[in-house]
Amino acid sequence: MIGILASVIDGILIGAVYGLAAMGLTLIWGVMNVINLAHGAIVVVGMFVLYMLVSALGLPAYGAVPVMIVLGFVIGIGLYWIGVHRMIGRPELMSLLSTFALNMVLIGLGTAWWTTSPYNVQVNMPSVSWRGYTFTGTHITAAALAVVIAGLLYLLLYHTRIGKAVRAVATNREAAELCGIPTTQVLAMAFGLGVALAGVSGTLIATMFPFTVLSGEAYQLKSFVVTVLGGLGNPAGALMGGIALGLIEGLATPFMPVSWIPIVEFGLFVFCLIAFPRGIFSFTKA
Amino acid sequence: MSEILLQVEGLEAGYGDVQVLWGISLKVARGTMTTLLGANGAGKTTSLRAITGAMCPRGGKVVFAGEDVTWLPAHAKAARGLVLVPEGRQLFNNMSVEENLEMGAYSRRARQHFRQQLDHVYTMFPRLKERRNQKSGTFSGGEQQMLAIARGLMAMPEILIIDELSLGLAPVVVQQLAETLKGLKASGVTVLLVEQNLHLALALSDYAYVIAEGRPFLEGPSAEVAAKPEIRQAYLGL
Repeated sequence: MIGILASVIDGILIGAVYGLAAMGLTLIWGVMNVINLAHGAIVVVGMFVLYMLVSALGLPAYGAVPVMIVLGFVIGIGLYWIGVHRMIGRPELMSLLSTFALNMVLIGLGTAWWTTSPYNVQVNMPSVSWRGYTFTGTHITAAALAVVIAGLLYLLLYHTRIGKAVRAVATNREAAELCGIPTTQVLAMAFGLGVALAGVSGTLIATMFPFTVLSGEAYQLKSFVVTVLGGLGNPAGALMGGIALGLIEGLATPFMPVSWIPIVEFGLFVFCLIAFPRGIFSFTKA
Repeated sequence: MSEILLQVEGLEAGYGDVQVLWGISLKVARGTMTTLLGANGAGKTTSLRAITGAMCPRGGKVVFAGEDVTWLPAHAKAARGLVLVPEGRQLFNNMSVEENLEMGAYSRRARQHFRQQLDHVYTMFPRLKERRNQKSGTFSGGEQQMLAIARGLMAMPEILIIDELSLGLAPVVVQQLAETLKGLKASGVTVLLVEQNLHLALALSDYAYVIAEGRPFLEGPSAEVAAKPEIRQAYLGL
């Protein structure tokens, strides 16, 4: 019984990081109606930024977190102007194709650079023991940082002028433009924010698990599940959805082979799409 | 005549293959209220959208306070004080009243006067002050229109352009809004009004332009336009 509880707690810790990744996806989706298919590749960028900074430059592992937030923001603004800007307001297929192309380019570059062999970054954090069960220090730290970053995002969106402008543009872009808000810049910034969130979640995942250039796809799919659980364009819901997904993984792990976990997850995904098409935690949109 | 604040010459605009405006021209003098009239589909809303940059004009010229602003994006025009209160209110429904007003004052110029203008707007619409933390999506039509006008005023407009002031509102609410507009004009705000209620528009305004099928049809001081029989023709297409 305690074993299951320990597994569930560990699942929740990892789930908070899934939530952070999904926040990046859902923010972009909610603000500009673009499904960012380069999301997984950006998660991988975050992983390799950790690898480069720690293994090549010898930085402390969590020092990579603020670096990745800034770098992700800059990369995101770059990607916005390269592949997204001209797709805004066009049929969704256009932005799907262009972000998918960005995804392929990023993965291709990564494969050329690092090949597809697995990488591992050793991060030493003291573990916490409780009744004979050990909770890995990196999992606890990653979850704590994910919650802190989510809190900062909330403060940004609800208590700063620029964050309110992001929400205004998400609600009604034309009205925002008529208010004097430079909406194109706001969209670029929101894309940068979304990419920074995806990237930093990759950095945190890489402190916990080994990874390859191709790891992104799994996290992209998880982000879709989380987004469906949490409701579209709803960052708070994304965190809840991530934690819910982690909880389900933790709950299922003791009872079945690991290869069955995706079947449970995507079974849930289909179930939610049918039963709760607006998301389970969707309380913001009326 | 006093200084011309807004001058539109030969404005052309359209959607896709359909051209809607075929050379609209008008002038608005500072401190006056001007109205733009016409039947449904005559191109009133399109004119306002092309003037304010909500859509891109195809030709013609928009001169505002002596500057050619024809090709500026809407946010840059709003920042200069060329402000549109759009048809259908277009509020940020999941944001509070105060957040809506804060967004109205987004430009650097308007931001500097935020506090003072907020007090001014709350004095004008005490109802909004009472409900400042409520989400605007829960409001009645009249309250939403008040908020839309208030949000426009937060931008420190040199000219406030209002599209369909009374659309979908109860007569008593329309009366209140008409009083508000009179007050605004008395305080020196320049207004360009599009209004489906012909009598209201002509009673409130100093000068009127009538357009038909995207072209200028008739213009003159409002009292004279009201007396002309042709106005019927513009509306009924006879």
